[in-house]
Amino acid sequence: MKAMIGLEIHVQMTEAGSKLFCDCKANYRGMEPNSNICPVCIGLPGALPVVNKRSVELALAASLAFNCHVPDYIVFTRKHYFYPDLPKNYQISMYERAGGVPICRGGKVRYLDIHSWEWKECRLRRINIEEDPGRTIYGEGGILRSSEAYVDYNRSGVPLLEIITEPDLKSAREARQLVEYVLLVLEYLGATNPRLEGAFRVDANVSVEGGERVEVKNIGSTLDVEKAINFEIMRQSAIISSGGKVERETRHWDAERGSTRPLRQKEQEEDYLYFPDPDLPAIALRDMLPKAKAIASSSDPAALFEKAISLGVQRELAWSMVTARPSLMLYLEAVERGADPQLAARIIAVDYKGELREREKDPHDPANWPSADTIVELSRLMKEGAYTYDAIKGIVLPKLAENPAADLKLLLPQRAENLEQVIEEVLKREERAVKDYLSGKAQALNYLVGAVIRAAGKRALDPRAIREAIERRLAKK
Amino acid sequence: MSREAWRVAEEIRAGADPSRHVEEVLERIERWEGAVKAFISLDLPEALRERAERLERKIRKGERVGKLAGLLVSVKDNICTSWLPTTAGSRMLEGYVSPYNATAVERVLQEDAIIVGKTNLDEFAMGSTTELSAFWPTRNPWDLERVPGGSSGGSAASLAYGGADLSLGSDTGGSARLPAAYTATVGLKPTYGLVSRYGLIPYGNSLEQISPMARSVRDVALLLEVIGGWDPKDATALRVERPRLDPSPAEPRALRLCLVKEMVEGAEEPIEKLFWNTIHKLSSEGAQLEELSIPLLSKALPAYYTIAFAEASSNLARYAGIFYPTKGSSGSWEKYVGEARARGFGREVKRRILMGVYALSEGFRDEFYVAATKVRRAIRDEVLKVVKRCVIAAQASPILPPKIGERLDDPLKLYYMDMYTVIANLAGVPALVQPLGFSQGLPIGIQWMAGPLEESKLISLGLLVEELTGIKGAMAE
Repeated sequence: MKAMIGLEIHVQMTEAGSKLFCDCKANYRGMEPNSNICPVCIGLPGALPVVNKRSVELALAASLAFNCHVPDYIVFTRKHYFYPDLPKNYQISMYERAGGVPICRGGKVRYLDIHSWEWKECRLRRINIEEDPGRTIYGEGGILRSSEAYVDYNRSGVPLLEIITEPDLKSAREARQLVEYVLLVLEYLGATNPRLEGAFRVDANVSVEGGERVEVKNIGSTLDVEKAINFEIMRQSAIISSGGKVERETRHWDAERGSTRPLRQKEQEEDYLYFPDPDLPAIALRDMLPKAKAIASSSDPAALFEKAISLGVQRELAWSMVTARPSLMLYLEAVERGADPQLAARIIAVDYKGELREREKDPHDPANWPSADTIVELSRLMKEGAYTYDAIKGIVLPKLAENPAADLKLLLPQRAENLEQVIEEVLKREERAVKDYLSGKAQALNYLVGAVIRAAGKRALDPRAIREAIERRLAKK
Repeated sequence: MSREAWRVAEEIRAGADPSRHVEEVLERIERWEGAVKAFISLDLPEALRERAERLERKIRKGERVGKLAGLLVSVKDNICTSWLPTTAGSRMLEGYVSPYNATAVERVLQEDAIIVGKTNLDEFAMGSTTELSAFWPTRNPWDLERVPGGSSGGSAASLAYGGADLSLGSDTGGSARLPAAYTATVGLKPTYGLVSRYGLIPYGNSLEQISPMARSVRDVALLLEVIGGWDPKDATALRVERPRLDPSPAEPRALRLCLVKEMVEGAEEPIEKLFWNTIHKLSSEGAQLEELSIPLLSKALPAYYTIAFAEASSNLARYAGIFYPTKGSSGSWEKYVGEARARGFGREVKRRILMGVYALSEGFRDEFYVAATKVRRAIRDEVLKVVKRCVIAAQASPILPPKIGERLDDPLKLYYMDMYTVIANLAGVPALVQPLGFSQGLPIGIQWMAGPLEESKLISLGLLVEELTGIKGAMAE
């Protein structure tokens, strides 16, 4: 059955430094409960919000990246609802009516469908900047049955982008890819780290032909976006095919059970009593535009992807690098400094990445990648024929993955010409083995190779190169 | 004791013993407070004495001594202090101690003032008589059967009997000026944004200012110099330096006074008489008069109350029994919140919340809240046009201080008391109320309004009027 899907993606600007309206930290992970709070973010009487300019700059950069219509100024709105984790019982958010002015109205996201390698489009209705509420932790039985709840306000006031799409998506897979792409863009802008626990949440509005729209809340991963929407399409389709009616309702995604269940039925339009927050005067965007434009244009993953392709990199490899930002940045820098585009891509996107995976090292952590100089040097050595790709792959990359900051000289197998003297000495000393080899005993060569390696001490050596060097030397005799 | 506060501070800075002044004030409190009940909480006499001693040591050592050296300042109980409770006159906050000081309080302390206690007010500053305090009504020291005006009635009363030299009040729609008119004291509502609201428990955020109150114009100016000027903690604070106010009276010949029909007419006869006497005196000294009408001002009161109630309903949403002393008892969240709010809020507060929610709700918002903000803008534009060419001379109150209980049954009668004062709040302009004289022992005040940041004009005019009336530093005996 044909489905129509619209999303509301809430993304924390975890990298904004401070909360939206106070100096508490935007990234609260690993902190004791209720230790990242102040009078402003727990809404104590008389405390006043003062907007963190960095959040607005990042939100503006995101709006530009998504081709939004950006207003001259923004106006925050209060959205009222009573909830234990919302300390003021209103959320400072944005609204397009009642005097509010959101940072983006009417944009569009071009996102890559990596199954068909097609760029697709999804229109955006709006982007709001808003504050995250605190977090309620329920006792046994969860939100529906537990009799107790604990509230941690460390999250209260963290800057969020609420990205609302038009219902342009036709499948769960498209929805997932859109979310992944949006997160990628926001990561490139330096707004968020989508891999942090709870960094984003998605609500999906799903309808199938002949039914009402159902909102599915509480989707916490991109994989679950696909699962939850697929579940919902199947559920609704089954109702319709059996002659039933899909009513408008809000449902809760239960990730553990892999199903949605009703949260509240017969939903009436809630009245949030929106009005402009009188504590926050309108903020003119003009002064922030140049900086936001600079951020948006220098950090567009699509453009960087195209750049890698234009260097002759296969699209699969290019995309592999795009999805781990430090690897792409390393690649582009290395190529700019003279590394061979093909060799560098193969090292970075395939073999080094594989070594990291094997060691369970995070490819998103720049500290796990070597310097661009290292890549340039490896590329040069291979180009010059000093080493084969296999030698680098087999000997250097594993050690580099172990310690990306290691001195390349100590990792490189000793090149043949430097070994000549050692070989000369070994051949002089091992007269008998030389004789055996020359008289046709093949094992004698293995013995000589081993003797050279032992004599060379601790240096990393490529045995095949040594074997070749010995053969060359003895052939002259 | 009838010396002006600025003179007392000067004497102390020159070596007079601050402890003696503390004793003077403590004696007044001892004599009057039982009957007047101006304070919700008073600091301990020993604590005040100790502060005076500390100041004396500081003076003896030759350290820098502040502009308010040794002055006793009372603070309205909706302004946060970290060592005395801040109740906002509500059961909801009975016993609540803020973890921080309001910016205005910090600045007063930095200038070596001694804070004597926290003064009574109508609950959350919602009222015009101080009878709507959840604790007790404050009485007018000039006539103990009558109200001192409100909502800063405790501050005004503390000044009128000599329980403080200066007071921090707040003025949302006349809350500092009406009590000034009723107690023969001076109240100045500053330009919106001149004084930080950080730490003022909000009632109508877009309208209100912490307001200096005192027994003379020069003393009010002194306090404004200390608390005024930009504060990074308040996004609505204007980026201006701390004001410097010249303490010399205006030259009558250079004065141009505008008499706006809607702000002059409609007061009781003794008030009208004294008002016109003063105006004619000023005119005979050379002041130019201009009479005009702003018909739109007939809509000021409904516009004001609509906006104030809407903002109040939002501000008060946070009192839900989690962070604050008054709790609910049910296990269900909705019921618990309902119980806490039913117990904690008084009748008038509930009335205003209901009306505010109504004004903001979907379907009514345009008709009420949005319409009121449009009227407000139009009124502001009209007022700004007039104050460009003159100072507006206006009544402060349509009636003499009413008897306790007289106005309580009819909210409309209560709201009507603010008809002349709300205009300055709607327009965001500064307004000063000072005493003109007495009728049958009851104080009568006059109100002056100037353009944005023209406080100095009001001060010099006020000083001139003090010379004319001879009323300055009056205290009930």
